[in-house]
Amino acid sequence: MSEVEQAREDVQAFQKQVGALREEIGRVIVGNREVVDGVITCVLAGSHALLEGVPGLGKTMLVRTLAEALALEFSRVQFTPDLMPADIIGTVVVEESAQGGSTKFEFRKGPVFANIVLADEVNRATPKTQSALLEAMQEHRVTVGRTTYQLEEPYFVLATQNPLEMEGTYPLPEAQLDRFFFKLMVPFPSREELHTIIDRTTTDHDVKVNPVLTKDEVLGMQKLVRRVPVAKHVQDFAIRVVLATHPGNAEATELVKRFVRTGASPRGVQAVLLAAKIRALFSGRFAASLDDVRQSTLPALRHRILRSFEGEAEGVAEDTILQEILKKLPESKA
Amino acid sequence: MSQANPISRLERAARRTDRRLRLRRALTAASACLPLPLGYAALVVGMAKLLPLGMAQARPWLWGGLVPLGVVAVAAVRAALARRAPFEGALLLDRHHGLNDSIANALAFSAVPEQERTPLMQAAISDAAAQVGKLEPSRAAPIAIPRELAYSAALLLGLAGLWALEVRVLRVVPAPLVKVQPMLLSADDVELFREIGEQLAKSTDDPQVSAAARRFNQLVEDIAAHRMDRREVFERLGSLERELSESSELEREALDDGLKELARELEKSGLTKPAAQALSEKRLADAEQALRELAERLKKKQNPPSKAELDKLRSALQKAGAASSDHQAGIEQRRKELQEEQESLLKKKQKPGDNAAKTEQKLAENKRKLERLDRDKQRADVTRQKLSELDKQLQEAARQLMQDAQAAGKSLESAAEDVNRMSKQQLTDEQKKEMLKRLQELREVLRQQGKAGKDQMDRMQRFGERARGGKQQPGQGSKPGQGSKPGQLRLSHGAGEGPSIDVPMPGSSPGAGREGQGDGQGSDPASGKSYGSGHDDKLAGDPTKLDGKTQDVTAAGVDSGQGAASAEVIYGAAERGFVGRGYQKVFTDYQTVAEQVMTQEEIPPGYRFYVRRYFQLIRPRD
Repeated sequence: MSEVEQAREDVQAFQKQVGALREEIGRVIVGNREVVDGVITCVLAGSHALLEGVPGLGKTMLVRTLAEALALEFSRVQFTPDLMPADIIGTVVVEESAQGGSTKFEFRKGPVFANIVLADEVNRATPKTQSALLEAMQEHRVTVGRTTYQLEEPYFVLATQNPLEMEGTYPLPEAQLDRFFFKLMVPFPSREELHTIIDRTTTDHDVKVNPVLTKDEVLGMQKLVRRVPVAKHVQDFAIRVVLATHPGNAEATELVKRFVRTGASPRGVQAVLLAAKIRALFSGRFAASLDDVRQSTLPALRHRILRSFEGEAEGVAEDTILQEILKKLPESKA
Repeated sequence: MSQANPISRLERAARRTDRRLRLRRALTAASACLPLPLGYAALVVGMAKLLPLGMAQARPWLWGGLVPLGVVAVAAVRAALARRAPFEGALLLDRHHGLNDSIANALAFSAVPEQERTPLMQAAISDAAAQVGKLEPSRAAPIAIPRELAYSAALLLGLAGLWALEVRVLRVVPAPLVKVQPMLLSADDVELFREIGEQLAKSTDDPQVSAAARRFNQLVEDIAAHRMDRREVFERLGSLERELSESSELEREALDDGLKELARELEKSGLTKPAAQALSEKRLADAEQALRELAERLKKKQNPPSKAELDKLRSALQKAGAASSDHQAGIEQRRKELQEEQESLLKKKQKPGDNAAKTEQKLAENKRKLERLDRDKQRADVTRQKLSELDKQLQEAARQLMQDAQAAGKSLESAAEDVNRMSKQQLTDEQKKEMLKRLQELREVLRQQGKAGKDQMDRMQRFGERARGGKQQPGQGSKPGQGSKPGQLRLSHGAGEGPSIDVPMPGSSPGAGREGQGDGQGSDPASGKSYGSGHDDKLAGDPTKLDGKTQDVTAAGVDSGQGAASAEVIYGAAERGFVGRGYQKVFTDYQTVAEQVMTQEEIPPGYRFYVRRYFQLIRPRD
């Protein structure tokens, strides 16, 4: 089998596996196709997602279902103001041996030591605790005392935020937000979706989620994602989109100039292009397209641009600013 | 499988799309700029409607139209050649066919060296290559009519409307330039009329005649300097003629009438009969002389007249003195009667009757008579005015004859003075008549020369030179070698032959004249019939010795009848030119005879002119 044919088969297999995963998640989660795809994208990119939505929209359910479908270890941490770093990372405890007489210090792993970690209402914990989580997210390892513990791959953190109850919260600083691959907005379900949700949750309907992907398969898919080529003009477009979020850039739009204080970081371009590659694979294509970049821009950049005071006062959403950029920016430039 | 072929097909399709895209952008750019030349055209058309733009004035504006047109062309070329983003055509194809950038990606990956291409790149290229047959560049980049053309179309409609719009502007059309054709008169004729003018000016003291002579001279000078066209010349001639004839005609007729009346009365006395005869024949100088002699006779008392003669003289002088008054009174009486008859006829006409036609006829006849009487009365008034002094002197002489013959003689001397004054007046009239005659000659010469044109002028030029006995200058109206030998002067109607210069007389046909000229140019020196010039180089003999001692002797010649005959003189003049004293004498003789014949015999006026013209042309030159 030639390499090209092997590549074709790999892409086809990827597409099938993603399809199976979507289907399995869809057995539990009603609707929210974009959010589901976004979460899968983050998993395949080997990165993390920040979900924002009102309580009760199935965020925790989504992550749990994903973990079950992937046959990965899952843990959940409910962030509260009194949550300490040790509560999520783990702590060293003195332990007596079973024979008695001798005691030793032993590290008890916290909830971050799982393949999929759900950090519920992450903005309620103190920055200190948030930082502890974010280090694990970024480095995929945890240092306790003099010992560093490597986190098992694949490692995926899904944090949630409640946009309503802002009192007594600690909004994530920009540097920490930048570490999330996607920020996904969980919309309120439609009337039909609610019907289905009610039917499933208020009856004795019990769905058992079957694992459809193994850990190795996920890692293989992550590798395939990295191999997807990106043409120069597509990459250029992604870069120009990110640059256009900076008010001082020549291609910055009027909204950017007026309402943005700081644009997206280079991590934003990485996120956009990785997401575009994954989207290409979702469609069974071998290379990312301009349209893939366009589709990936909003979830990858919305949490990476910092609005100015005027932008916040005017209530101009980040999505509006990004949509204007995508609308006005020429696809290619001489 | 080699991917070179599908890739090149992909590239071709992309390039084709790209070209169409460039063309579309060029059209759009040109359409966007098209209102500029259209607006300019509207401006120029508007100006042309409002201002009278001639071709010379409009030319810069028309050239100026190249600027906006150039702007359109530059905009189109610039849009077509502008630097394009990579894979623009390919992306357009992808978008049109919904290929998710597979063509553009494939072309981008094909630029990567083959050994560096990943399997996924190869797969992407082969995926795109599979689509190459379906690609439609014409649909992907359709060349539609640019929307910007709508503005140009609207402007074009406006321009057409402006073009059709008629703006009424009062344009001052300059009068067409009429090239003045100067009246031409040959140098020979100019000289002739100059001489005539000078003679007229010298021969008179009368201010009116002198002024007329000056005007005549000025007219000749203006013609010579080619300052006047034909119309202007004839207008000035007419004006001069009218002025001269108006003033002289009536006075001359009136004076003639008065003198006839006077002569009739004076004839009744034997003493005044010679004076009466002279007056009746208009020999005023003789009449003056006769009156002076009579006055002398009366004053000196030598051979005094008898009493009967004196009575007759007194009666004749008295009647003569009152003659013009009586004549005038008779006219007045007759006019009065006719006026009364006319009034009664008019009254009769108003009454209905059988003889209305007869009355009408009588009225018309009376009207004519009245008009004639009016003219007679006018003349009688002038006569009385002219002769009033003479009448007074004659009546005074008659009155004094009864007392003192010497005093009567003095009055008769005064009467002779008056006759002398009238004689001078008559002389002035004759000068006026002479000037009128010259004016008519000039008029006729100009009229005839105007008809003949430049050919005749050239011939006249040559004729004038020959007539002065001079040689023709090189390059004057003939080819080199022509007329190098003196030709024979001859006035002809164009049927000349031999080595002569024919000058057609007025009235001859131009065609005939030209033919005659051709024959008469003497272009072949060998065939000339006249004698040659110069002398034989081999001439033998001694030269004439001029240093001999001589004595001047004056001898009065006696006409023996053996000198040169007139015919010989004329023949010589025809060959050497109209110069020399001999010729002058013969000419004067001949001209005098000709004038006498023309005076005495009835010759049509047209022929008289030809005769005079003939003598003008052959007149002696200095």
